[in-house]
Amino acid sequence: MEKKAQKVSLAELAATFFMIGATGFGGGMAVVALIERRCVNEKKWLEHTEFMHGLAFSQILGPFSLNSCTFVGYYLRGALGGIVAATSFIAPSFLLVCLLSLLYFRYHQLPELKSALLGSNPIVIALILVAALGMARKNATRWHSAAIALIAFAASAFFGVNGLTVLAIAGCWGLYQGWRAGRSN
Amino acid sequence: MAALLQLCGVFLKIGVVFFGGGYVLIPLLHRVMVDQMQWLSLKEFLDGVALSQLTPGPLAMLATFSGFKAGGFAGALAGTVCIFLPCTALMLLISSRYRQFSKIQAVKHFLNGILPAVVGLVLAAAFTLGRNSLVSARDFILLGAGFLLLQFTAIAPMAVILGAAAVGLLLNFS
Repeated sequence: MEKKAQKVSLAELAATFFMIGATGFGGGMAVVALIERRCVNEKKWLEHTEFMHGLAFSQILGPFSLNSCTFVGYYLRGALGGIVAATSFIAPSFLLVCLLSLLYFRYHQLPELKSALLGSNPIVIALILVAALGMARKNATRWHSAAIALIAFAASAFFGVNGLTVLAIAGCWGLYQGWRAGRSN
Repeated sequence: MAALLQLCGVFLKIGVVFFGGGYVLIPLLHRVMVDQMQWLSLKEFLDGVALSQLTPGPLAMLATFSGFKAGGFAGALAGTVCIFLPCTALMLLISSRYRQFSKIQAVKHFLNGILPAVVGLVLAAAFTLGRNSLVSARDFILLGAGFLLLQFTAIAPMAVILGAAAVGLLLNFS
Protein backbone atom coordinates (compact mmCIF):
# COMPACT_ATOMS: atom_id res chain seq x y z
CA MET A 1 0.00 0.00 0.00
CA GLU A 2 2.85 2.38 0.88
CA LYS A 3 4.43 1.89 -2.52
CA LYS A 4 1.28 2.54 -4.47
CA ALA A 5 0.59 5.84 -2.76
CA GLN A 6 2.61 8.78 -4.02
CA LYS A 7 4.87 10.70 -1.72
CA VAL A 8 2.93 13.84 -0.91
CA SER A 9 4.58 16.41 1.35
CA LEU A 10 2.89 17.19 4.65
CA ALA A 11 2.85 20.87 3.72
CA GLU A 12 0.92 20.12 0.54
CA LEU A 13 -1.45 17.88 2.49
CA ALA A 14 -2.03 20.65 5.03
CA ALA A 15 -2.59 23.29 2.34
CA THR A 16 -5.03 21.10 0.41
CA PHE A 17 -7.17 20.22 3.40
CA PHE A 18 -7.06 23.75 4.78
CA MET A 19 -8.52 24.95 1.46
CA ILE A 20 -11.18 22.23 1.57
CA GLY A 21 -12.00 23.23 5.14
CA ALA A 22 -12.24 26.88 4.15
CA THR A 23 -14.40 26.45 1.04
CA GLY A 24 -16.50 23.34 1.63
CA PHE A 25 -19.65 25.17 2.69
CA GLY A 26 -22.63 22.87 2.89
CA GLY A 27 -20.96 20.38 5.22
CA GLY A 28 -21.21 16.58 5.19
CA MET A 29 -21.70 15.18 1.70
CA ALA A 30 -20.72 18.48 0.05
CA VAL A 31 -17.32 18.29 1.73
CA VAL A 32 -16.85 14.61 0.87
CA ALA A 33 -17.61 15.37 -2.78
CA LEU A 34 -15.06 18.18 -2.68
CA ILE A 35 -12.41 15.87 -1.17
CA GLU A 36 -13.06 13.37 -3.95
CA ARG A 37 -12.73 16.03 -6.63
CA ARG A 38 -9.46 17.44 -5.24
CA CYS A 39 -7.71 14.26 -4.12
CA VAL A 40 -9.01 11.58 -6.48
CA ASN A 41 -9.90 13.38 -9.72
CA GLU A 42 -7.47 16.29 -9.81
CA LYS A 43 -4.39 15.26 -7.82
CA LYS A 44 -4.83 11.51 -8.37
CA TRP A 45 -3.49 10.81 -4.89
CA LEU A 46 -5.60 7.68 -4.57
CA GLU A 47 -7.92 5.48 -6.62
CA HIS A 48 -11.66 5.90 -6.53
CA THR A 49 -12.13 2.40 -5.07
CA GLU A 50 -9.68 3.10 -2.22
CA PHE A 51 -11.54 6.30 -1.46
CA MET A 52 -14.85 4.42 -1.37
CA HIS A 53 -13.38 1.91 1.10
CA GLY A 54 -12.45 4.79 3.36
CA LEU A 55 -15.93 6.31 3.10
CA ALA A 56 -17.53 3.09 4.31
CA PHE A 57 -15.76 3.46 7.65
CA SER A 58 -16.02 7.23 7.89
CA GLN A 59 -19.63 6.99 8.95
CA ILE A 60 -19.18 4.92 12.10
CA LEU A 61 -17.88 7.32 14.74
CA GLY A 62 -17.74 11.08 14.36
CA PRO A 63 -18.33 13.40 11.43
CA PHE A 64 -18.28 11.92 7.93
CA SER A 65 -16.34 14.84 6.44
CA LEU A 66 -13.58 14.91 9.07
CA ASN A 67 -13.09 11.14 8.98
CA SER A 68 -12.74 11.18 5.19
CA CYS A 69 -9.92 13.72 5.57
CA THR A 70 -8.25 11.54 8.20
CA PHE A 71 -8.47 8.52 5.91
CA VAL A 72 -6.92 10.25 2.91
CA GLY A 73 -4.18 11.75 5.09
CA TYR A 74 -3.39 8.35 6.58
CA TYR A 75 -3.41 6.67 3.20
CA LEU A 76 -0.81 9.13 1.89
CA ARG A 77 1.45 9.75 4.88
CA GLY A 78 0.55 7.42 7.74
CA ALA A 79 -0.71 8.49 11.16
CA LEU A 80 1.02 11.88 11.05
CA GLY A 81 -0.58 12.55 7.65
CA GLY A 82 -3.99 11.66 9.04
CA ILE A 83 -3.59 14.07 11.95
CA VAL A 84 -2.28 16.85 9.69
CA ALA A 85 -5.20 16.43 7.25
CA ALA A 86 -7.82 16.36 10.01
CA THR A 87 -6.37 19.37 11.83
CA SER A 88 -6.00 21.41 8.65
CA PHE A 89 -9.57 20.65 7.67
CA ILE A 90 -11.02 21.73 11.03
CA ALA A 91 -8.82 24.82 11.48
CA PRO A 92 -10.80 27.27 9.29
CA SER A 93 -14.14 26.28 10.84
CA PHE A 94 -12.62 26.42 14.30
CA LEU A 95 -11.36 29.96 13.79
CA LEU A 96 -14.67 31.02 12.25
CA VAL A 97 -16.72 29.57 15.14
CA CYS A 98 -14.40 31.23 17.69
CA LEU A 99 -14.92 34.56 15.96
CA LEU A 100 -18.70 34.07 15.72
CA SER A 101 -18.87 32.94 19.37
CA LEU A 102 -16.92 35.99 20.49
CA LEU A 103 -19.30 38.29 18.60
CA TYR A 104 -22.33 36.32 19.75
CA PHE A 105 -21.55 36.37 23.47
CA ARG A 106 -20.55 40.02 23.33
CA TYR A 107 -23.46 41.31 21.27
CA HIS A 108 -26.40 38.95 21.69
CA GLN A 109 -28.25 41.53 23.75
CA LEU A 110 -28.45 43.81 20.69
CA PRO A 111 -32.09 43.98 19.57
CA GLU A 112 -31.15 43.49 15.89
CA LEU A 113 -29.17 40.32 16.54
CA LYS A 114 -31.89 39.07 18.89
CA SER A 115 -34.51 39.50 16.15
CA ALA A 116 -32.34 37.70 13.60
CA LEU A 117 -31.68 34.79 15.95
CA LEU A 118 -35.38 34.50 16.79
CA GLY A 119 -35.96 34.07 13.07
CA SER A 120 -33.33 31.36 12.75
CA ASN A 121 -34.35 29.30 15.80
CA PRO A 122 -37.33 27.49 14.19
CA ILE A 123 -35.06 26.67 11.21
CA VAL A 124 -32.69 24.87 13.56
CA ILE A 125 -35.58 22.67 14.69
CA ALA A 126 -36.56 22.07 11.05
CA LEU A 127 -32.96 21.14 10.26
CA ILE A 128 -32.87 18.55 13.04
CA LEU A 129 -36.23 17.16 11.92
CA VAL A 130 -35.10 16.83 8.30
CA ALA A 131 -31.88 15.14 9.42
CA ALA A 132 -33.83 12.64 11.53
CA LEU A 133 -36.15 11.77 8.64
CA GLY A 134 -33.19 11.35 6.29
CA MET A 135 -31.51 8.97 8.72
CA ALA A 136 -34.79 7.11 9.29
CA ARG A 137 -35.06 6.38 5.57
CA LYS A 138 -31.61 4.77 5.72
CA ASN A 139 -31.54 3.13 9.12
CA ALA A 140 -35.10 2.48 10.29
CA THR A 141 -36.73 0.79 7.32
CA ARG A 142 -37.53 -2.67 8.64
CA TRP A 143 -39.97 -3.17 11.50
CA HIS A 144 -37.21 -4.27 13.82
CA SER A 145 -35.09 -1.16 13.34
CA ALA A 146 -38.17 1.07 13.30
CA ALA A 147 -39.13 -0.36 16.70
CA ILE A 148 -35.67 0.47 18.11
CA ALA A 149 -36.02 4.02 16.78
CA LEU A 150 -39.47 4.40 18.35
CA ILE A 151 -38.37 3.05 21.73
CA ALA A 152 -35.31 5.32 21.70
CA PHE A 153 -37.55 8.27 20.83
CA ALA A 154 -40.01 7.56 23.64
CA ALA A 155 -37.26 6.86 26.20
CA SER A 156 -35.55 10.15 25.41
CA ALA A 157 -38.56 12.41 24.77
CA PHE A 158 -41.00 11.22 27.45
CA PHE A 159 -38.96 9.45 30.11
CA GLY A 160 -35.85 11.63 30.12
CA VAL A 161 -33.46 8.71 29.65
CA ASN A 162 -29.91 9.90 28.95
CA GLY A 163 -28.82 9.57 25.31
CA LEU A 164 -25.66 7.73 26.35
CA THR A 165 -27.72 5.10 28.12
CA VAL A 166 -30.00 4.66 25.11
CA LEU A 167 -27.01 4.19 22.78
CA ALA A 168 -25.31 1.69 25.09
CA ILE A 169 -28.46 -0.42 25.42
CA ALA A 170 -29.13 -0.29 21.66
CA GLY A 171 -25.54 -1.37 20.91
CA CYS A 172 -25.80 -4.32 23.30
CA TRP A 173 -29.16 -5.26 21.81
CA GLY A 174 -27.61 -5.25 18.32
CA LEU A 175 -24.76 -7.49 19.51
CA TYR A 176 -27.24 -9.84 21.19
CA GLN A 177 -29.34 -10.06 18.02
CA GLY A 178 -26.27 -10.84 15.97
CA TRP A 179 -25.12 -13.49 18.44
CA ARG A 180 -28.58 -15.12 18.37
CA ALA A 181 -28.72 -15.08 14.55
CA GLY A 182 -25.24 -16.62 14.45
CA ARG A 183 -26.29 -19.44 16.77
CA SER A 184 -29.41 -20.39 14.85
CA ASN A 185 -27.42 -20.75 11.62
CA MET B 1 -7.32 24.57 35.19
CA ALA B 2 -9.68 22.22 37.01
CA ALA B 3 -12.56 23.69 35.00
CA LEU B 4 -10.66 23.08 31.77
CA LEU B 5 -9.97 19.46 32.74
CA GLN B 6 -13.64 18.95 33.52
CA LEU B 7 -14.47 20.39 30.10
CA CYS B 8 -12.03 17.96 28.45
CA GLY B 9 -13.59 15.05 30.31
CA VAL B 10 -17.10 15.99 29.22
CA PHE B 11 -16.17 16.38 25.55
CA LEU B 12 -14.02 13.23 25.46
CA LYS B 13 -16.97 11.25 26.81
CA ILE B 14 -19.25 12.64 24.13
CA GLY B 15 -16.59 12.06 21.47
CA VAL B 16 -16.57 8.35 22.29
CA VAL B 17 -20.30 7.90 21.63
CA PHE B 18 -20.52 10.14 18.62
CA PHE B 19 -22.09 7.45 16.40
CA GLY B 20 -23.94 7.76 13.13
CA GLY B 21 -23.09 11.31 12.07
CA GLY B 22 -23.19 14.68 13.73
CA TYR B 23 -26.84 15.01 14.63
CA VAL B 24 -26.68 12.62 17.58
CA LEU B 25 -24.64 15.38 19.22
CA ILE B 26 -27.74 17.50 19.56
CA PRO B 27 -29.48 15.33 22.16
CA LEU B 28 -26.17 14.46 23.86
CA LEU B 29 -24.81 17.99 24.06
CA HIS B 30 -28.19 19.45 24.96
CA ARG B 31 -28.37 17.12 27.92
CA VAL B 32 -24.88 17.91 29.15
CA MET B 33 -24.53 21.60 28.29
CA VAL B 34 -28.03 22.82 29.15
CA ASP B 35 -29.47 20.38 31.71
CA GLN B 36 -26.46 19.06 33.63
CA MET B 37 -23.62 21.61 33.46
CA GLN B 38 -25.79 24.62 32.67
CA TRP B 39 -22.99 26.11 30.60
CA LEU B 40 -25.56 27.24 28.00
CA SER B 41 -29.19 28.28 28.11
CA LEU B 42 -31.59 26.58 25.72
CA LYS B 43 -31.66 29.73 23.59
CA GLU B 44 -27.86 29.87 23.43
CA PHE B 45 -27.75 26.20 22.51
CA LEU B 46 -30.08 26.72 19.53
CA ASP B 47 -28.13 29.81 18.46
CA GLY B 48 -24.95 27.73 18.70
CA VAL B 49 -26.40 25.12 16.32
CA ALA B 50 -27.23 27.91 13.88
CA LEU B 51 -23.70 29.36 14.13
CA SER B 52 -22.05 25.97 13.63
CA GLN B 53 -24.05 25.62 10.41
CA LEU B 54 -22.47 28.79 9.06
CA THR B 55 -19.09 27.04 8.71
CA PRO B 56 -17.93 24.23 6.38
CA GLY B 57 -17.14 22.16 9.48
CA PRO B 58 -19.41 19.49 10.91
CA LEU B 59 -22.20 20.11 13.39
CA ALA B 60 -19.67 19.11 16.04
CA MET B 61 -18.36 22.68 15.81
CA LEU B 62 -21.05 23.12 18.44
CA ALA B 63 -18.36 21.81 20.80
CA THR B 64 -16.22 24.83 19.89
CA PHE B 65 -19.11 27.16 20.66
CA SER B 66 -19.97 25.44 23.96
CA GLY B 67 -16.30 25.33 24.94
CA PHE B 68 -15.95 29.02 24.16
CA LYS B 69 -18.84 29.88 26.47
CA ALA B 70 -17.51 27.65 29.24
CA GLY B 71 -13.85 28.67 29.06
CA GLY B 72 -13.07 31.29 26.40
CA PHE B 73 -10.59 30.54 23.62
CA ALA B 74 -8.80 27.85 25.67
CA GLY B 75 -12.15 26.21 26.34
CA ALA B 76 -13.03 26.30 22.65
CA LEU B 77 -9.72 24.69 21.72
CA ALA B 78 -9.98 22.05 24.46
CA GLY B 79 -13.59 21.22 23.53
CA THR B 80 -12.78 20.88 19.83
CA VAL B 81 -9.68 18.74 20.33
CA CYS B 82 -11.38 16.45 22.85
CA ILE B 83 -14.56 15.86 20.89
CA PHE B 84 -12.60 14.91 17.76
CA LEU B 85 -9.85 12.93 19.47
CA PRO B 86 -11.72 9.60 19.80
CA CYS B 87 -13.08 9.49 16.24
CA THR B 88 -9.75 10.54 14.72
CA ALA B 89 -7.89 7.89 16.74
CA LEU B 90 -10.41 5.24 15.68
CA MET B 91 -10.22 6.34 12.06
CA LEU B 92 -6.40 6.10 12.09
CA LEU B 93 -6.68 2.61 13.55
CA ILE B 94 -9.24 1.51 10.97
CA SER B 95 -7.34 3.09 8.08
CA SER B 96 -4.29 1.02 8.90
CA ARG B 97 -6.15 -2.26 8.58
CA TYR B 98 -9.46 -1.61 6.95
CA ARG B 99 -9.41 -4.83 4.93
CA GLN B 100 -9.46 -6.97 8.09
CA PHE B 101 -11.82 -4.58 9.85
CA SER B 102 -14.55 -4.99 7.24
CA LYS B 103 -14.76 -8.69 8.12
CA ILE B 104 -15.59 -8.21 11.80
CA GLN B 105 -19.24 -9.13 12.21
CA ALA B 106 -19.64 -7.76 15.74
CA VAL B 107 -19.09 -4.21 14.49
CA LYS B 108 -21.92 -4.64 12.02
CA HIS B 109 -24.28 -6.02 14.67
CA PHE B 110 -23.38 -3.27 17.11
CA LEU B 111 -24.15 -0.62 14.50
CA ASN B 112 -27.39 -2.35 13.53
CA GLY B 113 -28.57 -1.62 17.07
CA ILE B 114 -27.02 1.84 17.40
CA LEU B 115 -28.06 3.51 14.14
CA PRO B 116 -31.86 3.15 14.54
CA ALA B 117 -31.50 4.38 18.13
CA VAL B 118 -29.70 7.46 16.81
CA VAL B 119 -32.73 8.14 14.58
CA GLY B 120 -35.01 8.00 17.64
CA LEU B 121 -32.71 10.23 19.71
CA VAL B 122 -32.44 12.89 17.03
CA LEU B 123 -36.23 12.89 16.55
CA ALA B 124 -36.61 13.23 20.31
CA ALA B 125 -34.21 16.18 20.25
CA ALA B 126 -36.33 17.93 17.62
CA PHE B 127 -39.39 17.24 19.77
CA THR B 128 -37.88 18.40 23.08
CA LEU B 129 -36.18 21.48 21.67
CA GLY B 130 -39.29 22.38 19.66
CA ARG B 131 -41.60 22.00 22.64
CA ASN B 132 -39.42 24.34 24.68
CA SER B 133 -38.61 26.95 22.08
CA LEU B 134 -41.53 27.21 19.63
CA VAL B 135 -44.08 29.48 21.25
CA SER B 136 -45.98 31.53 18.68
CA ALA B 137 -47.78 30.87 15.41
CA ARG B 138 -44.93 32.76 13.75
CA ASP B 139 -42.44 30.14 14.97
CA PHE B 140 -44.52 27.30 13.57
CA ILE B 141 -44.90 29.03 10.20
CA LEU B 142 -41.11 29.43 10.01
CA LEU B 143 -40.65 25.82 11.08
CA GLY B 144 -43.01 24.63 8.33
CA ALA B 145 -41.43 26.80 5.66
CA GLY B 146 -37.93 25.77 6.76
CA PHE B 147 -38.91 22.11 6.74
CA LEU B 148 -40.29 22.30 3.20
CA LEU B 149 -37.23 24.17 1.91
CA LEU B 150 -34.73 21.83 3.56
CA GLN B 151 -36.60 18.65 2.69
CA PHE B 152 -37.65 19.32 -0.89
CA THR B 153 -35.15 21.79 -2.35
CA ALA B 154 -31.38 21.73 -2.68
CA ILE B 155 -30.93 25.07 -0.89
CA ALA B 156 -28.04 24.83 1.60
CA PRO B 157 -28.96 24.90 5.33
CA MET B 158 -26.69 27.91 5.73
CA ALA B 159 -28.76 29.89 3.21
CA VAL B 160 -32.04 28.92 4.89
CA ILE B 161 -30.72 29.93 8.33
CA LEU B 162 -29.42 33.27 7.04
CA GLY B 163 -32.68 33.84 5.17
CA ALA B 164 -34.75 33.25 8.30
CA ALA B 165 -32.43 35.52 10.27
CA ALA B 166 -33.00 38.22 7.65
CA VAL B 167 -36.77 37.72 8.00
CA GLY B 168 -36.45 38.08 11.78
CA LEU B 169 -34.36 41.22 11.42
CA LEU B 170 -36.63 42.88 8.83
CA LEU B 171 -39.85 42.11 10.71
CA ASN B 172 -38.29 43.14 14.04
CA PHE B 173 -38.99 39.90 15.91
CA SER B 174 -38.96 40.32 19.65
